[in-house]
Amino acid sequence: MRAVSTLLLMLVAVAPAAAQPPVTEPNVMAARLSAYRAAVLPGGPGKDGIPSIDRPKFWSAEQAQAFLRPDDRVIGLYRAGVARAYPQRILAWHEIVNDVISDQPVSITYCPLTGTALGFRRGDTEFGVSGRLLNSNLVMYDRATDSEYSQVLGAGISGPMAGQGLDELRVVFTDWAGWHARHPGTQVLSTDTGRLRNYQRDPYGSYNPRGGYYASGSGRMFPVLHESDRYPDKREILGFRDRHGAVAVDLDTLRDHRVIERELNGESYVIIHDPVLDTGWVYRGDAEIDPAAVTLGPGGPEFPGRERLRPVNAFRAMWFAWAAFYPDTQVIDDAAAAR
Amino acid sequence: MPPLLDRIRPLALAGGFTYAVSYLWAIGDFSTMGQPAWDLLAGDPALWLQRREAFRFEPIAMLRAGHIAWLVNPLDILIATGLGALLAVNAQGAWILRHRPDICRGRAGGTRGALAAAPALLAGGACCAPGVLLTLGIPGLGAVAGLFEWLVPLSLLMLAANRWWQRRQGAPGWFRLPAARGRTRHVG
Repeated sequence: MRAVSTLLLMLVAVAPAAAQPPVTEPNVMAARLSAYRAAVLPGGPGKDGIPSIDRPKFWSAEQAQAFLRPDDRVIGLYRAGVARAYPQRILAWHEIVNDVISDQPVSITYCPLTGTALGFRRGDTEFGVSGRLLNSNLVMYDRATDSEYSQVLGAGISGPMAGQGLDELRVVFTDWAGWHARHPGTQVLSTDTGRLRNYQRDPYGSYNPRGGYYASGSGRMFPVLHESDRYPDKREILGFRDRHGAVAVDLDTLRDHRVIERELNGESYVIIHDPVLDTGWVYRGDAEIDPAAVTLGPGGPEFPGRERLRPVNAFRAMWFAWAAFYPDTQVIDDAAAAR
Repeated sequence: MPPLLDRIRPLALAGGFTYAVSYLWAIGDFSTMGQPAWDLLAGDPALWLQRREAFRFEPIAMLRAGHIAWLVNPLDILIATGLGALLAVNAQGAWILRHRPDICRGRAGGTRGALAAAPALLAGGACCAPGVLLTLGIPGLGAVAGLFEWLVPLSLLMLAANRWWQRRQGAPGWFRLPAARGRTRHVG
């Protein structure tokens, strides 16, 4: 009897660990975990009040043309020859899609309040929406350990996974025209989500044209840990961070320079603009890159010596949110790029 | 044409109905669509008890009529009907208290009734923020977002309390028309 009890206890103890999401070393954090936990606020809906999409269905690109206009925003993911687009207008209602692409379980996450889209490997568990916010940004939880994670930090902030970094994968927050041009055979998340919503309407506003909460002059709604007036709150920057520090890249500057090489926080970085997707690809390591030798393939830039560089995840974010999480962020804008 | 006193109930009912529709609009069950459609989409009926927020539930059908979409949940409709009915009886009571001092005593309480109905209209939300925050866009107001879930019961409570107060002031019941102070004429 004791042996059976011991075995059951071991199973209970092991089960969450087996299902927990894959973890890595966390990126830089500007505050202690206790400070983050104290700053978490209820957003309105309760846990899973915003339902994640757990059994996504997809349209072909041709079928999606009836739903998407060329300048509508999508979140694009490319992996092992498979391209998928997740329309922002659908994600605004669900915030998380638990998907499997090329046999890899992944979660595509989107926070409307901070304009951030990030992908994570999820292992055998799923992520859900906690209904709580940190710095106005999505707080997720995993359904194996019930730990909570900040989306922008990409790290656990409470529960058994507190302090652990999630394993990120690159997604691109871009427009449908650009994604479709890069990936003509892309699949597109359909409105058959298992829930009924008015997917023609974004409850926060519009990216096309900018309006409502997304308008440049509109205000934040939730308190944040740090404020900055360097740029307007809703201005989008390209942000990247690793364990060495955080960097915000002004998108106009990146468009103008196409390739920016910088020593930052004691490390060398290369940022390459992708004009089709209007995003930046970031690499860490020493390399002399000839902009004329850079070509853009389905998985991003290709250039001689790329294999010696380490990709760093980068994503768009509203400035107020980036500054709230990373008050010591370095900024690359016209003045910095000219140096 | 019936006298105004007899017409107050239909008018109050119309007010209650308008309020119920406004409430459903405020919580997002009614919304507009850019591309018109005419159909009825059936969802999972098992979700009808699943909460999206404290007093807002998962739709189990969507009726699309032209540019209007209606996300249907029976509990949302029940709450809207309850709020609308309470508003209607409050409006009827306030009108009679104001215009028939011969049968009632005290003040009308109409303003209180209208104020009592207001909080529920602010309770509707988007995905992760109460709709009023999106509308007002006041930085920092989100700090109290957790309190927004109490707006619907607050309205229900205030409307019920005002109605109780009206009755104490001598307002007749919904199904009774006033005759004179101390007497009522039963109709129906």
